[in-house]
Order: sequence, then structure tokens, then C-alpha cells
Amino acid sequence: MIIQRIFHVNDMECSACAMRLEGLEDILPGVTQIKASYHRQRLEIIFDDTVLSEEQFLQAVESLGYHAQAQ
Amino acid sequence: MDNLWIVFMTGLTAGGLSCLAVQGGLLTSSLAYQVESDLTARGIKPENHANPRFALPIILFLSAKLAAYSLLGALLGALGSVFQLTPLMRAILLFVIGIFMVGNALRMLNIHPVFRYFSFEPPAFLSRYIRRKARNTTGWFTPLFLGTLTIFIPCGITQSMMALAISSGDPVAGAAILFSFTLGASPVFFAVAYFAAQLGSRLERWFIRIVAIVLLVLGILSIDSGLNLAGSPISLSRLARLIAPQSPAAAFNPQPLFPQDPFQPAFPATEDPAPIPTQGVNSLVLAALNNGYSPEELIAPANQAIMLSVITKNTLSCSRAFVIPSLQVEEFLPQTGTVVIQIPPQESGTVIQFTCSMGMYTGEIRFQ
Repeated sequence: MIIQRIFHVNDMECSACAMRLEGLEDILPGVTQIKASYHRQRLEIIFDDTVLSEEQFLQAVESLGYHAQAQ
Repeated sequence: MDNLWIVFMTGLTAGGLSCLAVQGGLLTSSLAYQVESDLTARGIKPENHANPRFALPIILFLSAKLAAYSLLGALLGALGSVFQLTPLMRAILLFVIGIFMVGNALRMLNIHPVFRYFSFEPPAFLSRYIRRKARNTTGWFTPLFLGTLTIFIPCGITQSMMALAISSGDPVAGAAILFSFTLGASPVFFAVAYFAAQLGSRLERWFIRIVAIVLLVLGILSIDSGLNLAGSPISLSRLARLIAPQSPAAAFNPQPLFPQDPFQPAFPATEDPAPIPTQGVNSLVLAALNNGYSPEELIAPANQAIMLSVITKNTLSCSRAFVIPSLQVEEFLPQTGTVVIQIPPQESGTVIQFTCSMGMYTGEIRFQ
């Protein structure tokens, strides 16, 4: 099922961080879209939870050095 | 041409770090990803950072960036020749750029979340396009393409250089400004991209702090230049003059007007076309030197028209672009020569500010 999740990422330090997080949509399977905003320290993902779990996504975010908290 | 040297040095010192903060994150990581994939495909261990194969894509990237910015500079210079900026417009531009730079510095120092809005976020479609292009293409095309695309994500200092290119009002000068700046910024960019994987996040944070502090200083200077150029009685350089004023005697006796500058070759007497005017009751003499105006404070009699002779002698700096904001006077002085400016009678106590067109060098005439 396609679902949407919104996270707060308070360790984005510049807009390049947002672009880096958005880059996960090219790597992770089952992701339809990722929108990251440095201004709002917000990360929005639309994904297929039958392909990718929320935990896997959070692990991928952490592997880039960021910490996402569910809003 | 000496200004180009300053532009180059700005690129080398602040520009490299600032560009790195804005463009480095996406582009060098995409570049590194590309290079590492290539190396892995060829069976070379990506950890071997000293491998000279790393250098080529970065050089291609920087060359494309240099070419793209030079072209952009020419376009901006051409634009500036169509819309000539007045001193007040330049003052506003410098002021706004200064605010932008200070805001960005405070953002990088994490002072308050509101400063995040000083950071330019490229539209999602653009960053997605750049990212996918970087991943899906191979060979020399990717770094060339990414280098060209950096013009869409200019850093704060680059934006001020772009404004400088507009104010040059000439395509060649505009291209030369952005070429010098980008060339200056290249060594830092190259060094950091080359050793990117070796730079830990701690060092990266240090870099960001250094950039923030340099930006803060440059931003304050830009605001100060804007204030000077607008003829504001309040500015840092004027405050400095208030704290350490010149003695009136020194102001009335400006000799020697051209002290021997160790960096300046002695000027042959035969090339001096006109004698230096002498200072009288209604005439003032001001020297426009390479490092400012001398004296910085002139005293003039009130209620009398004044003839201000501004003298240049082998002067190459922006002090040649002489501006008196309150009288709407803007004179571009010859490299060597004298320009006489008529100043109408002023009431006692009036202070007229003068400055170069960049708002860097300042001085004032006090009427009493």
C-alpha cells in the first residue's frame, strides 16, 4: 500500500543536506517521492510499505548521518 | 586590473569555502559517487584517494564551472551596460547583499531557525534533475555538466560577485570578474573535493564555521560600503574616523599628497601632465590614492562656493570612481590628472561625505 510519512530532521545544516536526503529516492526501492526541506527541517516520504518498511527508511536516513523523528 | 586581483583573492579566501558550503554537498558527493563507481568498475579500490584518476573529473568539473561563470559574467556585464546602476542603486544592492551574507553567516552558526530562510533552496525539480543526471551518465560528460550547472546554485559571495559584474557595465569586465573569482575559488574546491572522503564531519563543521565568520565579516563590510555609498552619516568607517580623527592642521596641509608607496614604482616627472593645484581659501585639494583618499577630512569655509580638485597620480584602484552622494556627483577620474568639482555654498556645520563607487574608501568635507 502506498503511504505517506512526515518526519522532523533537526540536523539538516544546509539545503545540500535536504538534497542529499532527497537522493534516497533514487536508491531505496518502493519510494515514490521524497521531499526534504531545510527551512522547515522536514522530511516527507511517499512509499510502498509492502516493499520498504519505515524502519528500513529510518536506517537509510541514519546511514547518511541524520536523525528523523516522526511528526 | 588591480580590482581583478582583489576579486581573485576573494575567491581564493572566502569564495572557495563559501561555494563549497553551497555547491559542495551535492556536487562533490555526486562527483565522488561517480568517480568511485568508475574506479570500482575498473577494479581500483575507491579508498585509494591518492590515485591521480580522481583529479581529472574534478579538473573537468572546475573547468566547466570556470567557463560557465565567465559566460555568465559577460551576460551580466552586458545587462549592466543596458541598465547602468546609479550610486544609490549600487548602495542598495551592496546593503541587501550584506544583509544576505550576514543572515547566511548567522544561519551557518545556528544562531536562530529564522536565519535558515537566508539559504537558497533550489526547486525540487532542479535538484532532482541534477542528481539523476549525475547518477545516470558516465565519463567526462558528468563533471562537465555538473560544473556548468553550478551557475544555478551560486553561493552568497558568488552572488555579490555577480552583482559586481552587473555594475561593471561591460561584458569583458563582467566576464573577467567572474573568471577571476571562480579561478580563485578553484584551488580550495579542488583540494576539498580531492580529499573529500578523508575530511571527517568534524573538519567539515570547522570549515562551515570558518566560512560563517568570513561571510559575517564580508557581510558587515558590504553593509558598511552600502551605507557609505548612500552618503549615510552612520557607518563603520565614519565611526572609525570619529574615534581617531585627523588633526585639522593635517587636513589643511595635505602635503605630501602622494607619499612614496613601496608597491608603486616612482612616477616619471615627464609623464605628469599638469602641476598639482595648490590649496587656497576657496579651493581644496584631495588626492585619490590607490589605498584611499588623502586627507580623509577636509575643512572648508561655510557659505562660499568651493572648488575641489581631486588629483590622481598613477591611481588604479576604485578610488578613481569618485562619488559625492549628497550632491549627486559621480566622476570617473583619469589614471593621472586633476578633476575640478564645483561645490555650492554650504551652511556652517554641514558635513559632505565622499566615497569611491564601491563605498570602500571614504572621507568628508566639514564646513565651518
